Amino acid sequence: MKIEAIVGSNKRLSYNRKLLQFMKNHFTGDEIHINEIKDFPMFNENYPDGEKDHDPELVTELAERIEAADAVIIGCPEYNHSVPSALKSVIEWLSYRIHPLHGKPIMIVGASIHPQGSSRSQTHLREILDSPGVFAEVFPGNEFFLGTAKTAFDEDGELINQGTVGFLEQCFEGFKKFATEIDDFNGVK
Amino acid sequence: MKLVAIVGTNADFSYNRKLLEYMKWHFRRAAEIEVLEVKQLPPFNEDLPYSEQTEVWRFNNKINNADGVIIATPEYDHSIPAALKSGLEWLSYKHKTMKEKPVMIVGVSYGTQGTSRAQQQLRQMLLSPDLNSNVLPGNEVLIGNAAKTFDKNGFVTDIKVVHNLEDSFAAFNRFVKSNMRYLEEGDDNMTEPHISSEAKVQFRTGSLKVKEIQQIFNTLPFEIDFIDDTDHFAYYSDKPNREHVRHPSEIGESVEECHPPKALPAVKAIMDSFKLGTKDHVERCLPLNGHKVWINYYAVRDENGRYLGTMEFTGNVGHLVNLVKDGKFDGFPDATSGASKHDDDSEATGPVASESADATTGASEHDEENEDKTE
Repeated sequence: MKIEAIVGSNKRLSYNRKLLQFMKNHFTGDEIHINEIKDFPMFNENYPDGEKDHDPELVTELAERIEAADAVIIGCPEYNHSVPSALKSVIEWLSYRIHPLHGKPIMIVGASIHPQGSSRSQTHLREILDSPGVFAEVFPGNEFFLGTAKTAFDEDGELINQGTVGFLEQCFEGFKKFATEIDDFNGVK
Repeated sequence: MKLVAIVGTNADFSYNRKLLEYMKWHFRRAAEIEVLEVKQLPPFNEDLPYSEQTEVWRFNNKINNADGVIIATPEYDHSIPAALKSGLEWLSYKHKTMKEKPVMIVGVSYGTQGTSRAQQQLRQMLLSPDLNSNVLPGNEVLIGNAAKTFDKNGFVTDIKVVHNLEDSFAAFNRFVKSNMRYLEEGDDNMTEPHISSEAKVQFRTGSLKVKEIQQIFNTLPFEIDFIDDTDHFAYYSDKPNREHVRHPSEIGESVEECHPPKALPAVKAIMDSFKLGTKDHVERCLPLNGHKVWINYYAVRDENGRYLGTMEFTGNVGHLVNLVKDGKFDGFPDATSGASKHDDDSEATGPVASESADATTGASEHDEENEDKTE
């Protein structure tokens, strides 16, 4: 399965990036491509300055990759109990002039240095992805929260706790099944 | 009360910006509201060198110095715009600017929901540990159908919306003041003005609610101070931009306490003459705060002439002076008319003056009652 993964942080050091890299390396049977958002401009409906005619190149490029993919995974940090502005900004770009996430199966994962592992942020992200402008198909349940992320990875970027790995595998398999079924439900593209 | 109001979008045109401009105008008597934009802030990024973020520093500072914050949020994808979220992230990074800061949430949308989902999420964000704000409970301001809600001058056209805003703002006003008391306990300046009484006062010429009386005094273009018959500072009108700035803590002070020693003899002399009845009015013209300020002291008396206190009636008359200069009164009856006699200095009236030829005005007749006392 061809999957576009989005790192929901614009930070140099991000445990969500580490988590997505782990997934990319771990699920070798599928093709996971990791997208960075740190260079995306802040969403502005008047972009570029005072005009309303086109999206930034980075946005259209990401949109094209998403269109071509079977599914999307978002690695979502938690800032102030919600989605980081950097990630929210990208979703706003992807729900303004173009809507590449429409009908797209999405899996949410999240890592944080606190025990909750971005749980509140993921709840907000679900609401956001469910809004009419985005219209994504968010994989229900299967909440993957990687808490205390600082101590979760070894030097090679492997998740240390095998129970965690097992649960992630279970979620991922379920997601692939969901993505296939949703495509059937939506009449396949 | 000093408030800042954050426009929750970076869009060039925004009804939420319009709403805040309207609130700034409509609630100008209750609070000084400064409207802030998130547009000039860089997108939040922990890797940016914080020491170089002058705009963030300025934004932080303004909010730090405010007694409360109003946030007007649009709704993008069932949440607040990334631009606003980014601003909040800056406010909770390195500093705890929003900690215990009273916050009121308002929102305008084109549709009927009035940003209800975005406000819900915003509340949750503001309660997170790094923001830790005191969000005003309840009092939702959800304004839908934005395009029909404002007229071309920026006024809200729907009276229901106006009342919703007024009720919610009144609640926020109380909320901010109780928070100020909580932060600066023991500060008498924070005494809440008593305004909400619905009680009516019956006069011979009509009746007014207590709140109406207060607001009439506060709306007069002149400020009023009142010293009661025991020579204590009893009241001042809470007019915006007063020439003489007063504080509630001064109420109850004696004349000696509330005047500089140098000015005291002159003040006492005026009050003594008022009590005796030898004078009813003294005026002063002073340059003050760069204004042409006209100060009047009036003896306030009951029907029997008994002294009730002294009213100081002060205002900037620059505008009147300009009207005269511009000839707006040219061709009007001049200083020999009856109207001007009323303006004559009180020194010219009185029992003696009443016997003179020109003392035919009502003002002097009133003074005849005091004839016995003055002689």
